Amino acid sequence: MKQPYTPRPNSNRKFVGGYRPRIDALEKARGKVEYVDDITLLKKFPGMLYARVLRSPHAHARIKDIDVSKAEKLPGVVSVMTYKDPEFTSLRPTNAGWTDGVDTVSYDGKMWSEFNDRRVLGDYACWVTDEVGAVVAAESEEIADEALRLIDVDWEVLPFVLDPIEAMKPGAPLIHPDMTKTNVLPPEKMGGDDVFLDKGDVEADFDQAEVVLDATSVHHNATQASLDNWCCLVDWTDEKLTLYSNSFEADQSRMHICQMLNLPMHKVTVISSYVGGQFGRGDTGEQPFFLFTAILSKKTGRPVKFKHTRRESFHDSRQPSIYYGKVGAKKDGTITSLYFKSIGNTGAYADHSIFALKFAPLEISEVSFAHIPNVKLESYAVYTNKLPACMMRGVGNSQFNLIFGHVVDLLAEKLDMDPIDLCIKNFGHEWENLPNKSLSEVLKQGAQKIGWKEKRNKPGQGPTYGKTKKRGVGFSLHPAWHAEWQEVRRGHIPISIALNPDGTVILDAPTVETGTGSNTCNVLGCAESLNFLGVTPEKILWNHVVNTDTSLKDCVQTDSSVAYLQSEVIAVAVEEIRREVLERAEPIFKVKSEDMDIVDGRIFVRENPEQSQTVKEVLFQGDLVPIVITKSKLANAQKTGVPYFANFAEIEVDTDTGKVDVLHLVVINDCGTVMFASGAEAQQVGGQVMGLGETLTEEIIYDEITGVPLNFNFIDYKIPTMADMPEIDPILLEIWKGAGEYGACGIGEGTLTCTPRAIMNAIYNAIGVRINDIPIKPEKVLRALGKV
Amino acid sequence: MPKPSKGKKETVATPLSAIKIKINGCWHTFEHERDIKPTMTLSYLLREKLGYTGLKVSCDEGACGACTVIMDGKAILSCMTLAVAANGHEITTIEGLQKDDPVVEAFAEQSEPGYGTALQCGICTPGFVMSTKALLNENPIPTMPEITEALSGHICRCGCYAGIAQAVTHASEKIAKKGEKS
Repeated sequence: MKQPYTPRPNSNRKFVGGYRPRIDALEKARGKVEYVDDITLLKKFPGMLYARVLRSPHAHARIKDIDVSKAEKLPGVVSVMTYKDPEFTSLRPTNAGWTDGVDTVSYDGKMWSEFNDRRVLGDYACWVTDEVGAVVAAESEEIADEALRLIDVDWEVLPFVLDPIEAMKPGAPLIHPDMTKTNVLPPEKMGGDDVFLDKGDVEADFDQAEVVLDATSVHHNATQASLDNWCCLVDWTDEKLTLYSNSFEADQSRMHICQMLNLPMHKVTVISSYVGGQFGRGDTGEQPFFLFTAILSKKTGRPVKFKHTRRESFHDSRQPSIYYGKVGAKKDGTITSLYFKSIGNTGAYADHSIFALKFAPLEISEVSFAHIPNVKLESYAVYTNKLPACMMRGVGNSQFNLIFGHVVDLLAEKLDMDPIDLCIKNFGHEWENLPNKSLSEVLKQGAQKIGWKEKRNKPGQGPTYGKTKKRGVGFSLHPAWHAEWQEVRRGHIPISIALNPDGTVILDAPTVETGTGSNTCNVLGCAESLNFLGVTPEKILWNHVVNTDTSLKDCVQTDSSVAYLQSEVIAVAVEEIRREVLERAEPIFKVKSEDMDIVDGRIFVRENPEQSQTVKEVLFQGDLVPIVITKSKLANAQKTGVPYFANFAEIEVDTDTGKVDVLHLVVINDCGTVMFASGAEAQQVGGQVMGLGETLTEEIIYDEITGVPLNFNFIDYKIPTMADMPEIDPILLEIWKGAGEYGACGIGEGTLTCTPRAIMNAIYNAIGVRINDIPIKPEKVLRALGKV
Repeated sequence: MPKPSKGKKETVATPLSAIKIKINGCWHTFEHERDIKPTMTLSYLLREKLGYTGLKVSCDEGACGACTVIMDGKAILSCMTLAVAANGHEITTIEGLQKDDPVVEAFAEQSEPGYGTALQCGICTPGFVMSTKALLNENPIPTMPEITEALSGHICRCGCYAGIAQAVTHASEKIAKKGEKS
């Protein structure tokens, strides 16, 4: 029997932090929840057309000419538009920088304005699958597909490059020759220079340090693989444009459409319902299909639906990064210098490469390397003709952790130190003295659960199981990046609470529910805050549809922090609700509101508690108008540091076959405050599917000769199933605490960040040979063992 | 090539004029070509023509399990089944289950410490529920390896496999309890 977590002493939460079903669990288990593909059926939108877009068969090519006459004549085709049409030539170039990770931005305010490398529909393709040249609207998807086949394209096929090191060399094919003179993205304002942090003097310290070590780690192009393929429907048959989509951001999508199509905001409606998994996919601006679908709708005067096939949904990925790390230390284990250099393969478009390569490592160094005197970070993002790399769960952090955990493990071995002690000795944020309490407790509890002391051997020196199998344990540690002070860029976070006269509540805490469970977190937060009125989670309706005409601005599902951000606003709004309820009680009790109080749903006179009525009784004697409080607030900017999290792994390597079996994973998160325990544990356990997949089985494979990706499907892109998963122990802690009522920290995104490195260190512990590029497939293990 | 057996009249395949499929307890009659084209998949018929959107089409090639429905008591992939192949058969979709179905309830309720919930985004859930129904019909008290084998044709990208496995065992217990009562 597994044990529940232990809440912080004296926290006395009634609902927050509980083990309970999600608020949408029954609806989801019954298949009643509707995703965008379900709400945009033909029978609901009579006359609806289906759009398809031409995709490049070449890794790098320009369209010299295009002839769509045969396609236009195909019965059932309603419109074929090309890049030559004024509707497209008039559009400004764009990029994925519309999503500033968290907030809503305008065209001029978006990130990476130096790299407006995307066209809504252009004549230029930078990877096999790139959307280019022409779009079709037809009576069915099959007809639209057939029409694409009838388009004659005269391609100018250009030389291509897939490898970032090759792409950096002089003379390499230029991916965006109109924009840059090399494939290396030039320094820009958000990420800074190539060397974007240079504290102290790393080089001088390496010359004099007692121990100096270096290492390399390579992360690859894993993909989000949400089962809910990208889909949208646009109805722009009238003056007003309405978009239904499975984007995770409604308000930002509206801004994007308004600014790109030059429409006033009240003439654009964005409607989002439940989304079948997001995992970082689909930042605004890297989905030009919203715009070409809209243009097709206007052109044809009919609603138009555009849906990716599963193959086409291999559209975003984690950015492959080659990391070099170097560490200088004293013999007692004090780290005196750290240097990391990365080369990131951004693929065909820049998207959020700089976020992954510069912004994330800078944040990590702020909260983990504050006590290390010499730190230098250097990075290069390089265009190639591969699938664009963008935001994916754990953006930048997953790649950085691979080298960070590597350097820690190497140095500890060299110093003959336990890597746990090495971490405790060195890492923590600048606002606290070492050792960092959160970090220490995370590692202590993880070590205990995995059996660190008993199971850890000298590398490769442990016992052999079943003649050929060796076992090992490893861990990796990371700072969380989802504390409230890190969310200030979101701007105001609005919520609204309507207290009905019967004591039930309608909560407008809009966010596009992508599966994270933040809806349940915030319903629990609402019940916690309003419990004095007798409100329980069962009495709260959380509206799952975000409609930009009627909803408040949605809190974007990034950083896993929607789990507490809206609850923090609700906690502040409570006093206003109390005041208004008491004002409504004044004429009934004939007592001033300041002389009354409310406890457990009863309003009473302080001096004479016998004189009391329930909230419902009081409100039913009034005008029956719900009490509505709308409140918005900025995230609390008080710098409170961050908590830590870690993964521990026990693995078994078959030295004959090279197969790695993960036997046990322990996932430990210091949450600050656990908002919803079952949901948090679901994130801890669930993240391991992606983490394990990235480490062992998932990989996008290209034909190097043609640049064609070969496995854009769920048969050859191997996502772990139930049979592949080990036993997983989730551990929730409440050690660190941020500002605010809860002082929680988002945990879901990061739960897979440490998984690859924990498994890699465990493999080294088992076989005594290091493999530092993932995914670790059997052939790599056998090669490392000298058996191939 | 098989030879026609002697003494018997050679059967010549005649195009079906009417296709009859029992869906969630009701027989539906479809006209060949007009309602169901020979290339139409069962998932397309159920979702796009009939509006049974509980099943999802994600991979559309039998790799993810999201489109799973039950045909004659067995779990099948509706994206890999032609609609015409369902002629004369009985199909149950998630919409055909009761609100208090023990499997549905067990998936919804799973929240016990240490395993997480049995669903997060929920898009794969109807498929898992239908496969679990078929499993428990055949094997009311499955072992953990049997559960794993039965459900490993499904992908849950949110990764709720541990919670799902718990839900299946709880559903099995619920069914046993109901059996005792009746």
